Amino acid sequence: GLPKIEPNSNLQSYVEIKTPDQIQRMRETSRIARKVLDAAARVIRPGITTDEIDDVVHKASIDAGAYPSPLNYHFFPKSCCTSVNEIICHGIPDARALEDGDIVNVDVTICYNGVHGDLNETYFVGNVDDSSKKLVRATYECLEKAISIVKPGVRFREIGEVINRHASMSGLTVVKSYCGHGIGELFHCAPNIPHYGKNKAVGIMKAGQTFTIEPMINMGTWHDRLWPDGWTAVTSDGKRSAQFEHTLLVTETGVEVLTARLPTSPDVYPWLKS
Amino acid sequence: MDVEDDDAGVPTAVEYSYPERSFESESENRRPVGITVITGYLGSGKSTLVNYVLNAKHGKKIAVILNEFGEEIGVERAMINEGDEGALIEEWVELANGCVCCTVKHSLVQALEQLVQRKDRLDHILLETTGLANPAPLASILWLDEQLESAVILDAIITVVDARNIFKQLSEYKESSTFSEAFQQIVFADVIIVNKIDLVSSSDSGFLENLEKEIKAINSLATIIHSDHCQVDLAVILDKNAYNAVNTEHVVHFEKLLEDSKSSSANQGCHNKNVRTVCLCKDQQVDVNMVRLWLEDILWEKQGDMDVYRCKGILNVLNSDKLHTLQAVREIYDIVPTREWNKDENRTNKIVFIGHNLDEKILNDTFSTFNCQTKINEA
Repeated sequence: GLPKIEPNSNLQSYVEIKTPDQIQRMRETSRIARKVLDAAARVIRPGITTDEIDDVVHKASIDAGAYPSPLNYHFFPKSCCTSVNEIICHGIPDARALEDGDIVNVDVTICYNGVHGDLNETYFVGNVDDSSKKLVRATYECLEKAISIVKPGVRFREIGEVINRHASMSGLTVVKSYCGHGIGELFHCAPNIPHYGKNKAVGIMKAGQTFTIEPMINMGTWHDRLWPDGWTAVTSDGKRSAQFEHTLLVTETGVEVLTARLPTSPDVYPWLKS
Repeated sequence: MDVEDDDAGVPTAVEYSYPERSFESESENRRPVGITVITGYLGSGKSTLVNYVLNAKHGKKIAVILNEFGEEIGVERAMINEGDEGALIEEWVELANGCVCCTVKHSLVQALEQLVQRKDRLDHILLETTGLANPAPLASILWLDEQLESAVILDAIITVVDARNIFKQLSEYKESSTFSEAFQQIVFADVIIVNKIDLVSSSDSGFLENLEKEIKAINSLATIIHSDHCQVDLAVILDKNAYNAVNTEHVVHFEKLLEDSKSSSANQGCHNKNVRTVCLCKDQQVDVNMVRLWLEDILWEKQGDMDVYRCKGILNVLNSDKLHTLQAVREIYDIVPTREWNKDENRTNKIVFIGHNLDEKILNDTFSTFNCQTKINEA
């Protein structure tokens, strides 16, 4: 349904500095979110439907004692978002089976102990063409580079500059309609972090803040359209789009990636092999 | 008219060549449609202005959004006058559902964009606000990044003021805030229409002058127009480009700052002792990055406990031939290069702050340090 507290909270206008207790809870919750996403990653293969992936996410969340935040959020019908190929984000899991050559993003957010943890990754289905591999890798790097500048004193608007630079250099474009967001006891709150350059984002990072960075990078145009279902965002030229997301905590000296990969995370990215 | 013989046979198919359509949004090739926010007390003549815009034969096709229902119902009602014929049509604009929280564009903006795309030509949009004390939140929603290439753009905030009652309205206080609504509406206005001047006794010629002084004491940056029955020349209130950095006319808005050689700060209005206008002046060139850091300290970190409502300025930037303009509404600000300095122009920096608890000394001192410091490496 429609959130009651979130839209009216003053956390929409200023960025909360989390207390040590909140931070500890967010660490725990983000770890669980990571494990739930990993469970989804393990079942990705040609032939599986996005509904089945959603079932895995739902079951894994409940088994961990958590609630899948997307479920019923503003009436969203499923427990996670699955975005295939030209879908930029917020794809709704359905009966379509993944095909060899697809790329699919699974976006998981869970609520545990009163706080949310939000992350997503784009996966390869079977054998994927070179341009898709480049797209996914470049998107991963965009997020990596953005995270590397996070520390107290950095302006939120810098994130967009870093991402834009790397995407442009890779010959790709940045989706402008969706942004990173603050997260904690609310699913979405301040700050708003655009991923494109020359933005007017307000604020300077401070230790204790938690937010997500979730660049969506496209092969073709940056323009997006919305499907009649009111959720699914798609590239306006039909070319593919990839995304990666982490929930981050600003520390006194830098950043802690709360949803970081674990040693148990499935080894699906060739460029991460040491 | 002769009826064609039905037995003539199947008509030949004629090849229709579809005009080339790019996948990009159609609005890319059109100038973005300006949005003017109209605010003002009930009875100030706001509705008269709206009616005038909708019914007068001015040749422009304007959509008026009547903010009657707010967002709860999920729709906005728009009245659009269809150009020359003057017929009024009613349109419903649905606010976007779905995940509104991680989208960059507020659902109101999306709704307005949809409206623009549905109509094949729209010259302007008026957003009438009912009962809104403070237009600043609306400004922050509508003041979009240029990068978004939106079909709509914030043009100006216009406040209609009732000449007879404004003094009384300024002194009203709501329990929750220190300043009356009338006050906030004036602070954030780009254009102020002083209406009902016909009802002000013509023998009392000092009255209007006094009123203007009072308004200027609160907001020295706004353009002030007089009217009766809100009969204003639309050319004067539309297409102000107050927030459109791309359009060179945008600079016209700042010309006043260029002309006005006074550097002294205006004194506060008699009703609101703590609100001031502070004007800083400096001739030497400034490093634009330092200006950004300085401004952010003031706007975001509330340096010196100062509460800035609006800020406007022109900057003489190091290593640039272009005049830079600076604009801020609450915490959102933008510094953009505009046109080149004219040869005979005095290249200078001039920044006007309007706010509460402003400390002229702090502002001046911190602004002056730019000269001495060498450029600091950013974090």
